[in-house]
Amino acid sequence: MQNEILFFILSLITIVSSLVMISAHRPIDSALSFIVTLVSIAALFGLLNASFLFVVQIIIYAGAILSLILFIIMFLNIKDENLPDEKYKNYWLLGTSLIIAPFSAILVDLILRSNIAVNAAVHENFGTIKDVGLTLFSEWVLPFELVSILLLVALVGAVTLSKKEV
Amino acid sequence: MLKAYMILSVVLFSIGVVGLISRRNIIVIYMSIELLLNAVNLSLIAISADLADASAQVISLIIIAIAASEAALFMALFVVLFRNRSSLDANLFTMLGSEK
Repeated sequence: MQNEILFFILSLITIVSSLVMISAHRPIDSALSFIVTLVSIAALFGLLNASFLFVVQIIIYAGAILSLILFIIMFLNIKDENLPDEKYKNYWLLGTSLIIAPFSAILVDLILRSNIAVNAAVHENFGTIKDVGLTLFSEWVLPFELVSILLLVALVGAVTLSKKEV
Repeated sequence: MLKAYMILSVVLFSIGVVGLISRRNIIVIYMSIELLLNAVNLSLIAISADLADASAQVISLIIIAIAASEAALFMALFVVLFRNRSSLDANLFTMLGSEK
């Protein structure tokens, strides 16, 4: 019962802060409310016994990526005249929600009708760093190596893109 | 509980798609993409907890690594675009393949 109450509160926080994130005018407001979204998603991971992913989400998303976004926003020195004047922003948001709503209603209906829950018994060290690490290095070695190549490519691409043209 | 997590994931994904389509500020567009990845991660981890299997957690770990490399590229793009156009409006960025 306690888990259900926690899940309800956390999902409410997540949905409200992500709505604020997509509708705020200034990017700093959306970045700050996106931090709230990411931290409450991390808390949902913790509620699901995924303790390693909880730590990774806090460190990488809320720690590294969001501080990078905040750093860039402050570094670019964005003034109000640099922002796009989205005069019809609310109409756009409303219209797009009207288009997207039927699709998500179909998905929710399918989830409610289907019988997907297995409710397998969770063993003792589920979701710990030992469990995830053993699975990563025994069954998922190739994607792990490919991710290292991807990170190298992203590093080189970021340096090449942002250097001043000669 | 799995169904509740899946429904929350669908709702977050829809919010992300709405933000991605209807906004013109590129920083908000980038954060909507991150919200899409987070919604997928949430459903993967809910399935992993339901099946008591750690493979889905590894997949979402790889998704987080992909999001980190995507973040580096996007930050470089923000700096280049803001230097050339001094605006964050996605409608102004039409210089692909042209001389500024």
